[in-house]
Amino acid sequence: MDNLKDCIDINSLENLNTHLSYQNNSENSFYISKIPDLCKEKLCILGIDEAGRGPVLGPMVYGIAFCPLEESEILKTFECADSKALTEEKRDDIFSKLCSSTEIVGWAVDVISPNYISNSMLSRTKHSLNAVSTDSAVGLIRAVANAGVNIDHIYVDTLGSKPEKYQSFLLNLFPNYKITVAKKADSTYPIVSAASICAKVTRDHALQVWKFQEGIELTHKDFGSGYPGDPNTKKFLKNYCNPIFGFPQIVRFSWSTATNVLEQEAYDVEWENTEEDHKDSESPNNVSIKSFFKMVEKPAKKKRTQHQFFSQMCLSRTTEF
Amino acid sequence: MAIHIQSGKEIKSSPDDGIQLMPFKIAADCEAEVSTYFKPYIKVNDSNYTSSFRGYPLVGKKLSLPKGYTGVILNERVIPDTDTEERNFYITNRFESFMHWNYDKIPTMNDAIMQVLDVWVDVAEALHSPIQET
Repeated sequence: MDNLKDCIDINSLENLNTHLSYQNNSENSFYISKIPDLCKEKLCILGIDEAGRGPVLGPMVYGIAFCPLEESEILKTFECADSKALTEEKRDDIFSKLCSSTEIVGWAVDVISPNYISNSMLSRTKHSLNAVSTDSAVGLIRAVANAGVNIDHIYVDTLGSKPEKYQSFLLNLFPNYKITVAKKADSTYPIVSAASICAKVTRDHALQVWKFQEGIELTHKDFGSGYPGDPNTKKFLKNYCNPIFGFPQIVRFSWSTATNVLEQEAYDVEWENTEEDHKDSESPNNVSIKSFFKMVEKPAKKKRTQHQFFSQMCLSRTTEF
Repeated sequence: MAIHIQSGKEIKSSPDDGIQLMPFKIAADCEAEVSTYFKPYIKVNDSNYTSSFRGYPLVGKKLSLPKGYTGVILNERVIPDTDTEERNFYITNRFESFMHWNYDKIPTMNDAIMQVLDVWVDVAEALHSPIQET
């Protein structure tokens, strides 16, 4: 937070847009609201949910929302419900209410850039999307705890099909909190709905203000929702595939939707030594034991090899002498 | 087979960050929009650089050529059909430094290119300097 532009307080949709357009969209960005004093004094409930896990375009956003347990009725008056079951207008409306209730409700979002997702999934020690998600959720809980929120109970939408496994993982990290991991938590617990709305609204607006660093003049209406089935998204991937570099970095290169288009539209790329020295098992130096029993006269022609200095220096003979 | 290296009509000097040595082969022989798709994403952290190509994380280092050396880019306009014909290369660019990129691995002295720059120069000097009779 060494920069003035990082210090905007988001208490309206306009502020959210301003904040998001200041961020470098190839990097992750993190925002945490002011912590209401009540949340430091009273026991609080926390909800965590994600938006934009599936799409091939744009960031994945993890959201957290919290409020004092005894004030949680306020969420119902906002009509917090599963963000996917609400219209865009309704979500924006609830978000405005949430972020302007600065005395009671606090929230934070972790915007994970598409470039970060691609780089993680395509790194040498493959860091899966689930691992990225877990890191983000854990980071959000830590940030909120460090900011002084009196955490009592955390509600999380499950990751993968085994809520129990995720729950015990989180309990292990945070033994002092009550933790509930559940399927469809976003429609069961209003505090998770609130988190899911913060995440979803942030993701949608991140795409609305997306500025291509490649200088492409397109808006979110042109590239669509980012879901692989969206015809606009499909058209975008095909039309804006660069034969050398692939796609602009709004695209998650690690999605099969993206790699399929690359195979069709872009030049083949062969990476250097990704699987080092795996091919040596069949080398002529590995002599089969049976060969010693063969009654053939093998011309014992020893191939002269160069000193390893030459191979280390990447030097090879181009002419025989 | 003779190889001729000829000075091009106009030899351009490449800017400091002009040459990118990438850790892959690409089945292409054409211009690439490096300034649009690659350079905007290059970030500096400590003594290394990071960037990304087709979603793959890259770590790079700026390497300077040893004193007394100049890098040149050669262009072969006509590629002969047989390997007995003479070949003609023209110098199009010169450079004093370049970016060396690794796929998700910090560049170290284990990288061949860095060994070459460090070691080969000394060996070459020893090999090619005139023998002094004492």
